[in-house]
Amino acid sequence: MHFTAVPPSYRFFLTLLLCGLLSAPHGYAAGLSANPSDTLISVPASSTRDQALDYLLKTKIPDSSAYWPNINRTLFIANLKANIMAPLALYQGTNTNFCGYAALSYLPLHEDPLGYTRFLLTLYSEGQATWGSAHFNPSPSVRRAAGTLRFKGILDIRPADQLWFLVLADHFRSYLNLFTRHFHPGAEDTFWAAVNYGKFNRMIRELFGYHVQAKGSDLIRPDIPDLYDYLTQCLHTGLTYLYVNNTYLHKKNHNKFKGRFPTHFIVLDAIHKLPDQPDMVDIIYWDYGGRTLRQVSLRFLKKITFGVTVCIKQSLPVIP
Amino acid sequence: MRQPHVYHLFLFAILVSAASCTSLNITNYYHKHRQTLDGMQQVYLDAYNTKPFSIEFTDRPFDHVSLELSTDTLTYIYEFAVGEPRLQDTLLKYGYNPAPINTLIKNMRSMECTWINHLDYYADETRHSLIYISLWPKTFDLPFVNKKYYILTYFSQPQYFDADGNLMTGRRLRRIRKINGETFRKINNKVCYTVSAQFR
Repeated sequence: MHFTAVPPSYRFFLTLLLCGLLSAPHGYAAGLSANPSDTLISVPASSTRDQALDYLLKTKIPDSSAYWPNINRTLFIANLKANIMAPLALYQGTNTNFCGYAALSYLPLHEDPLGYTRFLLTLYSEGQATWGSAHFNPSPSVRRAAGTLRFKGILDIRPADQLWFLVLADHFRSYLNLFTRHFHPGAEDTFWAAVNYGKFNRMIRELFGYHVQAKGSDLIRPDIPDLYDYLTQCLHTGLTYLYVNNTYLHKKNHNKFKGRFPTHFIVLDAIHKLPDQPDMVDIIYWDYGGRTLRQVSLRFLKKITFGVTVCIKQSLPVIP
Repeated sequence: MRQPHVYHLFLFAILVSAASCTSLNITNYYHKHRQTLDGMQQVYLDAYNTKPFSIEFTDRPFDHVSLELSTDTLTYIYEFAVGEPRLQDTLLKYGYNPAPINTLIKNMRSMECTWINHLDYYADETRHSLIYISLWPKTFDLPFVNKKYYILTYFSQPQYFDADGNLMTGRRLRRIRKINGETFRKINNKVCYTVSAQFR
């Protein structure tokens, strides 16, 4: 189709889409927007595990919620408690596209568990809630779906996680939602639930008020000459996420031809060079409900990394 | 004019090769190799219950093996050449008994098994587990074609199936159960199979 044959509204959308895809690698725009509103970000909240548990214990929680007909209250509370006590065990569910939301949850569960608990309890009791600059009023289909997802491993018995992931996917949209705008049964495994790089960084800014320093894009790898040094520096600056091509990191088949695009978010915990092999590194990262140590070559790491996001509290210095 | 005959012969060979893929019968395969496959499952289960781990063969010649060693705080993933002394050192370092793991590696190679793992699944809010074995037979390794794997699942309890042999969620709740996004069919009451594009 010739571009001029496209209706004006569509042309505008296509232009936006192309700008979104192509601008990101240049200015690291996915995270470092020139938008002056970025400077008005509120200071990220901090709280402790004990505060969250105390709040959970003292808050009156209705026996059932008219807003969430399929959520079992007992499992809901047990799920919140488990997340507060063992945040590393949060699991995105088998074969879902919730990895972006699971990775995102690492931040509030470690830094502000009270904010996380308060948000989910408000959502459960009142059907809507606000966090940061985002107000959530979930769609009826998502309200019905929370608590009914099955065959997803431990996510089957984690209604609070189901609610949290579904509500995030329902609220935050990106160009990936072009053909999957609304939830339908099974949508958790589709593009409806997928998170692209720009959306991931936007969610962190809007929800938690962190300064997000991002390098990368959905299509082109960032130009980082010394990845090891850069990642080491990032780890000293703030919580570091990697946006990676998971078909290489967590291989599921032996096909010769693999997609050359990122598909997964992980939290980078540490990186060390091996003493006797300077081209090899140990990376420790979090995903799928646990921490993993893996030896990879720096070449491999560079090949799979499409984005590096650092979440910085406002008072901390920024990497030049 | 021999050339057309060669051409036809070549086409015929391709057709036979393609047809052989579809005629593979996993039930027959399982019964033929039952002793080895069941033995592998039992050795893995016993060793896993002592200390959790998974084994993956990363290449077609089955020369490279990747071990996922799970501890309380970390899962360690290391890749080795089969027979490399470093493999034994690593197992000892993390407190694993090398004997069953070496047996498994040997049997997995002979059975063209690319992945063995322990999976949790949930029924009526209760956790259950199964052993997940992925086989990568040579017939599924055609060039320029996406790989396919036979998946065998070993349950600890007898399962429910519909009249067509599909794995169901339970006796009362008649819903097809999915494991790892796949539907499974009956081999016997505790063992099911599927053909998948992913080995895990």
